Amino acid sequence: MTIQSFDLLQPRSLSEAVDMLAERGDDARPLGGGTTLVILMKQRALHYRYLVDLQTIPGLNEIKREVDGVRIGALVTHRMVESSALIREAFPVLADAFSRIGNVRVRQTASVGGNLAHGDYRLDPPPPLLVLGAEVNVVGPNGARTIPLKNFFRGMYETALEPAEVLVDVKVPFMEPDSGAAYLRYSTLSANDWPCLGVAAWLRKTNGRCQELRIALGGVAATPVLINGLDFVADQKIDDELIARLLDRVDQQISPSGDLRGSVWYKRRMARLFVRKAVEQLNGAPS
Amino acid sequence: MKREIVLTVNQRAELLTVEDADTLLDVLRDRLKLWSVRESCGVGACGSCTVLLDGRPVSSCFLLAVRAVDHAITTLEGLGDGRSLHPIQEAFVEERALQCAYCTPGFVLSVKSFLEENPEPSDDDIREYLSGNLCRCAGYADILRAVRAAQRKMAPSRA
Repeated sequence: MTIQSFDLLQPRSLSEAVDMLAERGDDARPLGGGTTLVILMKQRALHYRYLVDLQTIPGLNEIKREVDGVRIGALVTHRMVESSALIREAFPVLADAFSRIGNVRVRQTASVGGNLAHGDYRLDPPPPLLVLGAEVNVVGPNGARTIPLKNFFRGMYETALEPAEVLVDVKVPFMEPDSGAAYLRYSTLSANDWPCLGVAAWLRKTNGRCQELRIALGGVAATPVLINGLDFVADQKIDDELIARLLDRVDQQISPSGDLRGSVWYKRRMARLFVRKAVEQLNGAPS
Repeated sequence: MKREIVLTVNQRAELLTVEDADTLLDVLRDRLKLWSVRESCGVGACGSCTVLLDGRPVSSCFLLAVRAVDHAITTLEGLGDGRSLHPIQEAFVEERALQCAYCTPGFVLSVKSFLEENPEPSDDDIREYLSGNLCRCAGYADILRAVRAAQRKMAPSRA
């Protein structure tokens, strides 16, 4: 299979990239690692006359420690996240989630920003990034802005990115000392496949009582879902009753579509099972 | 768009005129006649088109050739000296870790990068790393043995 002809534009700066995209409108798309866009163009599912290569812009492939968190450049590869000593120490849940995507070649190529901008409902990074409270920085014709990740995903393959806006980096705030996070990925086909669903949980506990709990799921709605309305867990012990209430909340906020990896009924059942496992794992109970 | 590029393939500089839409796989096979690089799934899942980019495995089937400029590309042809086999190739032969051999170049290159990165892997490490290389003759047990054999051959104390 060959790819229908296009021009690869190679900007040297973000502002040049934004200008290139703005001038060409719907005929142009930014190109990150290319694991999705190039394959979709090869399969002739998509075609753009211009691709704007973000790899030629210096500085987008760095992972940087800041006072209050870590900044991950849009062109950082999945493999870089998985092997970064900084990420492994500060956010083991992220290193773990990124290490289980596709295969090593895909992780060597795919970019963090490209993954988020693609807006696929079943990708692995969004759930852990959502529970960690990440935000994305973008730049476009009207300047720079910051979007909390929970407001970034708008629909199936649809994000808050405006025309000619480029995702620059993802900022992940450091976790509080008494908090922990886990990501459970459930595959129903091969291990390298997209998951049937993924569940991330983040728990802050003091003196054996839950203070704050965050849950996010992938694969069970048109977008990744951060569950809201979990304030009732504050200062409670995690027991069966609390978990039952929690699972009802999850059930109300997901809206799975059946796909190759599970029917609607099955995904709802598995969402309950894996949310319970994730919370119990963080709470130190056997799962 | 057509453009002239220089690709460094197996330590040789190759001057080529390519289309922006050409994949590295197209260029390596059709232009440079490096037949060890093979297409199978076309979407990065099977590993038949694996090449090393600066020593790390990538799928050449969806890597644009123009994006490989300024990187060192290694195909299977670049492993030996033309007379003797690379220790990983020897290990594959000794353990009979191939049948039709369509997948073998991809496996050998992946194993090379893997053992350089992780010279003393666990069985799980090997399985995880090679999970993206598919062999449909079902020679996985032999391939795992070949990785161990290659590891012994490449260990510094035995070099």
